[in-house]
Amino acid sequence: MSERIHPLALQAADKLERGRISRRDFLRYATLLGVSVGTAYAMAACAPAGAPAASEAAAGEAGAAGGITRGGTLRKGVLVQPVDHPARLSWLEGANAVRLVNEYLTETGPDNITRPYLLESWEASDDVQTWTLKLRQGIKFNNGDELTADDVMYSFSQWLDPEVGSSMLGLLSYLDGMNSVEKVDDYTIRLNLTSPNIGVPEHLFHYPAVILHRDFQGDWVKQPIGTGAFTLEEYIESERAIFKARPDYWRMGEDGKPLPYLDEIVMVSVDKDAAVAAIQAGQLDTLFKPRPSDFLALKDNPDLQVKSVATANCFVVRMRVDQEPWDDNRVRTAMKMCQDRQKILDLSYNGEGILSIDAPFSPVHPAYAERPIPAYDPEGARALLEEYAAEKGVDLPLKVTLATKNDLSEPEIAQALKELAAPGGFEIALDITEPNGYWDRWTEVPLGITIWAHRPLDTMTPPLAYIADADGAPVPWNETRWVDPEFSEKLAQAELTLDIEARRQIIGDLEDIMQERGPIGNSYWTNEWEIFPKSFHGVIAHPSNFDFFYAVWKQQ
Amino acid sequence: MARFFLRNLFSMFITMLLVSAVLFFLLEVAGGDVTVRLLGVFATPAQRDSLRRQLGLDAPAWQRYLDWLAGSDWRAQQMTPFPLVTMPNPQTGEPGWWAVVDDTLTRWRLADGELIAMQRTAEGEETTTPAGDVWTIDDAGNAIFWGVDVNNNLVKWVRGSDVDVLVLSKAGVRSETGGPQQYIPLRKGILRGDAGMSLQTNRPVSSTVFSRAANSLILAGAAFLLVMPLALVFGVLAGVNEGKLLDRIITITGLGFTATPEFVIGVFLILIFGIWLRWLPATAVFLTGDAIFRDPKILVLPVLTLMAAEFGYVSRITRASMAEVMQSPYIRAAFIKGVPRRRVIFRHALRNALLAPITVIMLQINWLIGGVIVVEVLFGIPGLGAYIYDAATFGDFNAVAAAAMLTVFVAVLTRLIGDMLYTYLNPRIRFA
Repeated sequence: MSERIHPLALQAADKLERGRISRRDFLRYATLLGVSVGTAYAMAACAPAGAPAASEAAAGEAGAAGGITRGGTLRKGVLVQPVDHPARLSWLEGANAVRLVNEYLTETGPDNITRPYLLESWEASDDVQTWTLKLRQGIKFNNGDELTADDVMYSFSQWLDPEVGSSMLGLLSYLDGMNSVEKVDDYTIRLNLTSPNIGVPEHLFHYPAVILHRDFQGDWVKQPIGTGAFTLEEYIESERAIFKARPDYWRMGEDGKPLPYLDEIVMVSVDKDAAVAAIQAGQLDTLFKPRPSDFLALKDNPDLQVKSVATANCFVVRMRVDQEPWDDNRVRTAMKMCQDRQKILDLSYNGEGILSIDAPFSPVHPAYAERPIPAYDPEGARALLEEYAAEKGVDLPLKVTLATKNDLSEPEIAQALKELAAPGGFEIALDITEPNGYWDRWTEVPLGITIWAHRPLDTMTPPLAYIADADGAPVPWNETRWVDPEFSEKLAQAELTLDIEARRQIIGDLEDIMQERGPIGNSYWTNEWEIFPKSFHGVIAHPSNFDFFYAVWKQQ
Repeated sequence: MARFFLRNLFSMFITMLLVSAVLFFLLEVAGGDVTVRLLGVFATPAQRDSLRRQLGLDAPAWQRYLDWLAGSDWRAQQMTPFPLVTMPNPQTGEPGWWAVVDDTLTRWRLADGELIAMQRTAEGEETTTPAGDVWTIDDAGNAIFWGVDVNNNLVKWVRGSDVDVLVLSKAGVRSETGGPQQYIPLRKGILRGDAGMSLQTNRPVSSTVFSRAANSLILAGAAFLLVMPLALVFGVLAGVNEGKLLDRIITITGLGFTATPEFVIGVFLILIFGIWLRWLPATAVFLTGDAIFRDPKILVLPVLTLMAAEFGYVSRITRASMAEVMQSPYIRAAFIKGVPRRRVIFRHALRNALLAPITVIMLQINWLIGGVIVVEVLFGIPGLGAYIYDAATFGDFNAVAAAAMLTVFVAVLTRLIGDMLYTYLNPRIRFA
C-alpha cells in the first residue's frame, strides 16, 4: 500500500536531512500531518519500521519479563470526582475514570507523538485546512452497537454546543460549529477549518474529547456507554469507582486475546498521605499525581518502580495587571527578578524539574526557542521598585499579599518567594487556603500562584490565558487580565505557521515579549511520576497524568 | 420511670427542632453562593439567578425551612389538580416525583417551545406524547400550566411568553422562550425522612449519608466499647491506689496518650505496625462498600488511635472521682466498721464514683461521632466527619444539614441515655 505523504512532511524531511530540525521534531510533525508512524520513522531513516505506539511500547517489556500474565486488580488512590457530561470534564481525575470506558479518536503518547486510535488514519489537505478522519471499522460499544460516524458527529455536536459548556469549544475555535463538520460516509468525517491548523489530531486527544454513543443523554454515571476496555461497575463520588474488564474489547493483546490484561480497576478516594501509607503497606498499588513529598517517601522503596517524565506543568506566580501595583511593568519585572529559580525548584520540588523563563512555553514543546535562564537579581529588583516608589510616593518595602492553595508545592514556593523577594523590596504576606478556597477566587486575587497543567502544544495554553476575546474582554481564564496586541497578533500568526523553523522564530518572539512585559513568573516545569509495584508491567508516565491501563499487566 | 422517659423524649424532640432551626439559619448566614460552585466562576449573574430559582433559593428563608422540615408537596399540591406522588426510579431505585393524570404517572418537559407529556406505564416503560391543551388562563390573561418536570420540581410554564428563561439541564444551562417561570422543588421534608438532593452528587442525600454514618458509627462504636471498660477499670484501680506506683503508671500513661494528638499516634501506629512490621493493614482503604465486614483488620489501627485519645480522659476523671469518694466519711466509716475492702469499693464507693465519668463518657460519644475526622482522613476511612467537611466546603446545604442533624440526634440520644443511667445510679435525680 503506497501512502500519500503530505508535501509539508516532505519539506520537513528535507530539513531534517540538512540538520535544521531535530529527529524528534520531524517525527511529531510528520505524524501530525497524517504520515503513519512507521513511514515517519522510515523517512527519518531510522528503524524500527513498526514504531512503538504508546501502548505497544509498554507491551514490548513483556518479552523481557518472560510472557504476559492476565488477571488481577489495580488499586489506585485518586479522588472519585462527580462526573456528568464527559464533554464538560475539567479535572484529570474524572477524566481518568471516564477514559477507562470511553476512548479518543487519537492518542498522544508520552513521546509527544500523536497516533490514530479510534481513527484508522487522518489526512490533511495541502493547505492544512481540510482534515479527513477515517474511523476504524468493527469497533463495538459496550452495549453492542457499532461505532460509526454518527457517534463521532454526535460527539462533535456536544463539544461545539455552547450550552453543553465544553472546553473543546474554545480549543476547536477553527470550526464554525457543526457547519464545519461533515459526515462523508459511515466511517469518514471531514472537518473544514476556517483557518489552517496543524494541531487537530492533538486537540482530539484533549481530555473532554471522548467519543460518546449517539444516544448519550448527558449523565455518564447513569449511561456509561463507550468503546473502552473497561465497563463501569460502581461509581460513588468521594468514595470509590470500580471498573471491570470487557471481554470483547476491540484491541488485541500480545497473547492474541483481547485486551485488557487486568480484570479490574478500583479507584478509591483517599487523602494522599493515607494513599502513601497504603502503598507502603501493599493495600493500594498507586496514587494519582504523586506530590514531591510522596515521591520522596516512595522512591527508595525496593518493591516499587518509579517512572518520571518531563512536562509543561508549572506553578505560575501571576499578577493582575488591572490592579495596583501590578499594572506597572517595573513592579512585575521586579517580582520576576526576585525568583532564584534553582533554589525555588530545590525547595519546593526537590530539584525534580527543568528551569523556566517566565513564559508559558516549555522545552518539551516542539517549537520552544531556547533562552538563557534569568538570574536571581534582588538589587536590580530593588532599583526598579525604588524608581516606582519614588514616582508613586509610596514607601518601600512594597506590601503585597500572595494568595495560593495548600496543595502540591504552592506553599513552599510562596514561602521561598517571600524570603527571596524581601531583599528586592517586597514585603509579601501569605494568604494560603485549602484548594477549593483558592479555586473559588483564582481569577480574582491580585497576586497568586496558580497551577497550569501540561498541554502538549506550545499554542494551547496562551489562547486560554493571555489573550482577549472577540469583544476585547480578557478570555475567562485570563487570570492576569494581561492583553498585549503584539503578543496576540504573533500568537495568532504562530497558530497558522506550520513550518517548524518559522514557528520557532515566532515562539521566540513571544517568549521575549513575556519576559519583557508579561504578567507571570514561573520558575520551573515539573516532572511527573508514576509509582507502581514492580509486579506491574507496561506502566506509562504521561506528562498529562493520563492513565493508560488497557495494556498494563500484573505478574501473577 | 416511663413518665420520666416520655418527658425526656419530648424534650429531645424539642431540642432537635430548635437545633435544626439554628442550624438552618447558620447555614443561611454562613453558606457561600452554591451556584458559583455548580456553574463555575465564569457563570453570568443571570445564569446564577436562574439556577437559584430552580433550586428554590429565591423563596424566603422561613419558607425553605418549612419545606426542608415538613416538605413542599402539600404547598405544591394546591397549584395543581393532579395528585403528586413519588415513585422509585427503576434504574437507580431513587424516588422521583410524578403527577397522576388519569391514573398514569406523568411528567412534562419543553421541546422546541412545545410542552411534551412523558408517561410511565405500569410496566415501567416511558412514552411521550404532546401535552395537548392543558393550559389554563390566569388573572393576567396568560396561558399557564403547573406540572412536574424531570428534575423533581413543580414548574409553572407560561405559554407564548417571550421572556427568555435560562434552564439548567443535565447538559448545562440553556435559554428557553415561553418556558418555565416559577419552580417549587418537590420534597417530603426531613420529618418524613426526605433530606433532599445533594447538590454535589445530584443524588438523594439519604442514599449516601447513611453508609458514611454507618462507617463512622462502627469505628467510633468499636473504639468506645473497647476503651470504656478499660478506662473505667484502670481509673478505679488508680483511684483506690491513689499516690501509689500503680496510680502513677496509669495516670502518666493516660496523660501521655491524651496529650499526644491523634494524628501523631496514628502516624506512629501506621509506621510501626503497618509499614515496618506489616502485622496490620496500615490504612483503612475501602475497596468495597462492605470492606469493614470483609476485612475487619483494617479497623484495628484507627480504633487503637481513637482508644489512645479516649483512654486518658475517662480514666483520669474516674480516678479523680474514685479518689474523692474514697476520702469521704462514709467510706472511712465503712472501713472502720470492718467491712472488707473489696466490699467497700464495689458496694459503696463505685456507684457514687461513676456519676462523674458517665457525663464525660456521654460527651465522648458526641466527640467520637463528629470528631473522628482526623482519624478518618489519616486512615482514609469514608466516614461522616469527612462527609460533612466535603459538603461544607462545597456549600451542599442539604448534605450538611442532614449529616449535622444525624450528629445532633446522636448527641441528644446519648444525653437521654446518660440521664437514664444517672437516674438508675442516683435516685435523687429521679425524684427531684
